[in-house]
Amino acid sequence: MTSYRYGRPALRSSVDVQLQSAFSEGNWNAVVRLAAKRAATFKDPYYEAIKMCAESQLDGTAEKCGVLVAIDELMQNKKVPDLDIIELYEWACRDFLGYEIEYAETLGPLRVRWAKANATSPLALQCMQACLEKWDLVSAQQIATTLDKTHANSTDRRYLFWNITLTFLLSISPQCTDASRKVYSLLAVRQLERAADLTENWPDSEPTDRGLRTEEEICLYYRVLLSHGTKEEFISRLQSPNLGAIRQLKKGHKLLFCEGLKALESWGEWDCIYSICREALTRGIEGETTPFFVCDLQVWKKFAVAASKAADPDNALIEVQTLLKQYIEIKDKASEMHRKNLSLALLETTFRLPVTTLDPDHNSTGLSPRVVQLGLYLDQYFERLAAFDDIKYYITELSFEEIKTFMQAVMPRIVDENSDKSRKIVLKVLECKLRYLLTTCPQTLSPQPSVANGEVQDGPFQCRLCNKPASLPCRCCLKMVISSASELYQQIACDSKLSDAIPRLDKDPRLDLALVIGISLLKLAGLKPQTSDTGPSIWKDIDPGLFLQGVLVLDVQLKVSPRDNELRLLLVQLYLLLGCASYAYQLWIPLDVKRTIQDALSPIFFDRISNISPGLFQGTRSFMEPLRAYYNNTLRDACPLRIWDAFSSGSYTSILDMVEYDSDLRRSCTMMMALVEERRAIRCFGGRIECEIEAHPLTANITESTILVNKTDYGSFPNFESINGPPLHEFLRLGPGLSNERSHLAFLSEQYLDLLAYKPPKEYKPSKANEAALRDREYTIEVLSRLSESLADLLHKPETPSRLNSGETSYYTIVSLLSAALLTAISTSRNDPPPRESLSLVTSSIKTAFATLRGTLPLSNPVENPRMPQACYAFADIQTLSWVRDAALAIRHSAGFVLAIHDKELARDRSGRSGLHRDVLAEMRALYEISGKALGEVKSTVQRLKEALAEGGWLDRLLDLVFGGEDQEEEDEVRKAVGEMVGGRAGAEEWAGKVIESWREGMKGWGMVRME
Amino acid sequence: MANFRRFRPDDLNKLSKCNLDPFTETYELGFYLQYYAKWPSLFQVAEDQHGNIIGYIMGKLESSPDVYRFSEHYLPWHAHITAVTVAPEARRLGIGRLLTEQLEAAADANNAWFVDLFVRTTNHKAIAFYKSMGYSIYRVVKDYYGDNLGDPSLPSEDAYDMRKPMKRDVKREHIREDGEKHEVDPSDVW
Ligand SMILES: CC(C)(COP(=O)(O)OP(=O)(O)OC[C@H]1O[C@@H](n2cnc3c(N)ncnc32)[C@H](O)[C@@H]1OP(=O)(O)O)[C@@H](O)C(=O)NCCC(=O)NCCS
Repeated sequence: MTSYRYGRPALRSSVDVQLQSAFSEGNWNAVVRLAAKRAATFKDPYYEAIKMCAESQLDGTAEKCGVLVAIDELMQNKKVPDLDIIELYEWACRDFLGYEIEYAETLGPLRVRWAKANATSPLALQCMQACLEKWDLVSAQQIATTLDKTHANSTDRRYLFWNITLTFLLSISPQCTDASRKVYSLLAVRQLERAADLTENWPDSEPTDRGLRTEEEICLYYRVLLSHGTKEEFISRLQSPNLGAIRQLKKGHKLLFCEGLKALESWGEWDCIYSICREALTRGIEGETTPFFVCDLQVWKKFAVAASKAADPDNALIEVQTLLKQYIEIKDKASEMHRKNLSLALLETTFRLPVTTLDPDHNSTGLSPRVVQLGLYLDQYFERLAAFDDIKYYITELSFEEIKTFMQAVMPRIVDENSDKSRKIVLKVLECKLRYLLTTCPQTLSPQPSVANGEVQDGPFQCRLCNKPASLPCRCCLKMVISSASELYQQIACDSKLSDAIPRLDKDPRLDLALVIGISLLKLAGLKPQTSDTGPSIWKDIDPGLFLQGVLVLDVQLKVSPRDNELRLLLVQLYLLLGCASYAYQLWIPLDVKRTIQDALSPIFFDRISNISPGLFQGTRSFMEPLRAYYNNTLRDACPLRIWDAFSSGSYTSILDMVEYDSDLRRSCTMMMALVEERRAIRCFGGRIECEIEAHPLTANITESTILVNKTDYGSFPNFESINGPPLHEFLRLGPGLSNERSHLAFLSEQYLDLLAYKPPKEYKPSKANEAALRDREYTIEVLSRLSESLADLLHKPETPSRLNSGETSYYTIVSLLSAALLTAISTSRNDPPPRESLSLVTSSIKTAFATLRGTLPLSNPVENPRMPQACYAFADIQTLSWVRDAALAIRHSAGFVLAIHDKELARDRSGRSGLHRDVLAEMRALYEISGKALGEVKSTVQRLKEALAEGGWLDRLLDLVFGGEDQEEEDEVRKAVGEMVGGRAGAEEWAGKVIESWREGMKGWGMVRME
Repeated sequence: MANFRRFRPDDLNKLSKCNLDPFTETYELGFYLQYYAKWPSLFQVAEDQHGNIIGYIMGKLESSPDVYRFSEHYLPWHAHITAVTVAPEARRLGIGRLLTEQLEAAADANNAWFVDLFVRTTNHKAIAFYKSMGYSIYRVVKDYYGDNLGDPSLPSEDAYDMRKPMKRDVKREHIREDGEKHEVDPSDVW
């Protein structure tokens, strides 16, 4: 037997050369003829099968389907089929699988039948593999059980564990009926328990025994327990002598220890975490494992947290520290990494000790043991790139007094006066970052009375660092951070010794300074997290000058450090916010996000891209191709990639993880985003959408109850914020990130549009036109009621509003209402009582929602700002333009859809009885008209924006915004600082040119967008 | 700042710190999964506090296919480092070394003759890294890489095949003093 997967199956060697070569050349007519002859001569059904197989390759539908009939016959007659014939059929009907026939109902059971009858044959195993590769778990499990029984005394332990693994997989799979789920769950647990007991009682038995021996077998047991067993059982095994986590560690196996800790934490079993960590770390010291084997930061952290939750936390924490000291004594033998982990563990334990234990009256001085420990840590590590990240969370835990002492008394003493210049600079950079961090920490504010000394105060709080009235972030502190950071920046730039030292440092200190300055400017400008309730154009609530200064500083820095991904990612987002999508794309390309990492990273650039820049889809043919290709290639088969490799290697935990990963990937929000963005863009240019979204192979298993998963990776973004507020990337997005709710809304809306756009194929001429029309209408009503119900349900979920930006909320609300309106419209025939109430209620909601959305159309509400061109507001708000257009088209096509049904009915039935209700028609015509007007508005907005951009003087206007125009003589500190960093107005010209050019390109794209 | 543990597929969603670096290649999903399926214990990662992957090693244990048994280029049972990478922010802390030592321990436990790997001849950092751990050049594979990171105008780049003997190779039969002088074609290596 050869693999049929990648090509034709090989014919039996007994088949003559002539037939063999016709078959291998794909000369199907010849094969049919020859095989028929041989069948007649030899009376061997095998030749019949070859004939059938060749026929299936011919064009006629009847011939193609012959093989399906043949398979059905094999199913009906209860005899054991010929394996070679199964192979031929399986190949022949490969294109029908999942459509015309289900593997699990046909070929899978045939293979089971064969394998059961030939259990000792090595080919039985290949039958299991074949079923597995078609992801037919029911059949694969049955074969595995047979094989296990047959090979019960074999030294190949895999038979037993294949059986168990498949039984378990089946028990958690949708392929399993609810009735048998329990049985399979029990079966998997029981078999493993028996194996576990065997090993626990006779740890050193034979390789043929049916116990648990390898790390993979043992971890499989725990995984199954975690899923189907009890917590008590899990915990008691985890601590048992032979199968426990510690025993595994002694054998050099860490997986169980890691997975065990994770499970314990999820249950809040801190006592158990405490004892396992203690034992594991003690074994390391005593030399029973390699000393630093479990010396991970998370182990120390969990150990310390567990101690702080113990009945006697003081003593427990002392025990942690004692063990830690023992490690510190041998740290010379450790790698730098582990030494650092130990230092961090020391910090961690200090921070977990109850404050009172440490130093009852530390508040008076601020020089608490925590502050001392932080100082000691920095003494060793302040030059390391990760220093800021390492201490960030600890700083935010300090009280204000401690913070003050730390910044004023501890930081300056970390390097002494005579120390190397570059070391001093590195420390100062760290200090700048910390000072920025403090502007995000609430403990730096104290409440202040609204009136003090007879004067009304600006803010409800006072900043304890600068004593000015403030709210978070304190503007005065931000300005100070900017000016000290830019001073430092200049100092480096002007000192050739320092500049020369840069390549020897872990990181160019100017980069962090530019980030601090840039981000402070954005904050100073008033940038807020982009949540559901922030307005569509960022400009409305922020100071454009400061914001653009921030972008400019960062952009200039990218020229100095083009390899820095943090900075690049930040800029990509900022330019998307500004409406400079083509420039953002230029910055995105060098990141070379490709293949596997696309699922996690693509949303950073591609999410909502069709809304802000449909033009990008024109011309750049490969724009979304790599993303599409990734999903098409990776998810082509129903079976998780490489799963057989894991089976054959006995990697049982890999199997379970790969199945989970595969299931997540098939439900990826990024995948849905890719499909939807592309469809939206295609519609913008009147292109042809290949297939309905619901019929797309990638959405085949996505139903309304499927939870779509978002795995966007923001890990490479700079984040100097404290944990008290959102991370930086949430300030920079075009709205809330990808989510299950938003993805489903997009999916359903696309289905709705598909329904509106559906046209029966030209050759479709049903003989019974009346019946067909009735059926069509029924079908439409069915789809509409499903869609309108699901859309409404989703929109009413309490978490949904926070997952959408305002344009999206309007658009999806409108689509949802439209589907409801259409449902009423189509189900109300002429003779029904007028649907006035129900329909007009919905249509008036549509009109209101749409009027609100239209009211936000760029340029429609000029903002009072003499220096800022109105068009700039619009560029940052192109999303709204897009949502108005999309909503208008949805309304237009919905109304058109209803009216067309009516016309069709009239044409079919002259009596007019089957037409729609008069009221319905009136409502639809009204909607149609409104949408037409709105599209006109969108069109003229685009036109006006293009004209605005065509005017001269943009460069100056933009630079005026950044640097202040001639009328703004008084120099403010911040602007001066920025000017110095970027080489003044002249130095910013190139940048301004790029921004304007990108706006022009964006509008050029919009100029091509169709408004019908 | 780091934890060491076995790779799991979900880590592929956390690779940006490593894989946005141009010296680190991003492969197709099937490639990672193949290693995870066949040699899960040779696929190890270091993660930071936030779960970002800041380093990983991916390796395998094998010998050349049997048909080459009598070829001069036949490789006996050995471990191979397919990829090792550490995020720029976490370099020079010994993470790369720890990951590699872990793989070497597995190679010894599996009675391998040696550990080998391919590296671009211009990747000086990585070469210094391997040399510091006792690897030496065994041969030069001409035009092994289809691109040239050092000089993008060139169509290809050579690789060093570097090796470190394991305990089994008591007589040091599988390494060479003058490996740099031994040139082979990409078709000679598997
Ligand atoms: C090569 C690489 C994996 C090293 O990782 P690392 O964690 O920084 O290395 P370690 O800290 O464990 O270094 C161990 C030893 O290797 C040597 N070494 C590592 N990086 C070096 C460098 N840049 N220059 C000189 N020697 C270096 C040193 O001797 C070092 O010991 P020391 O720090 O005590 O002096 C890392 O630089 C990297 O990811 N590079 C990009 C990807 C890559 O090139 N991978 C190799 C492809 S084959």
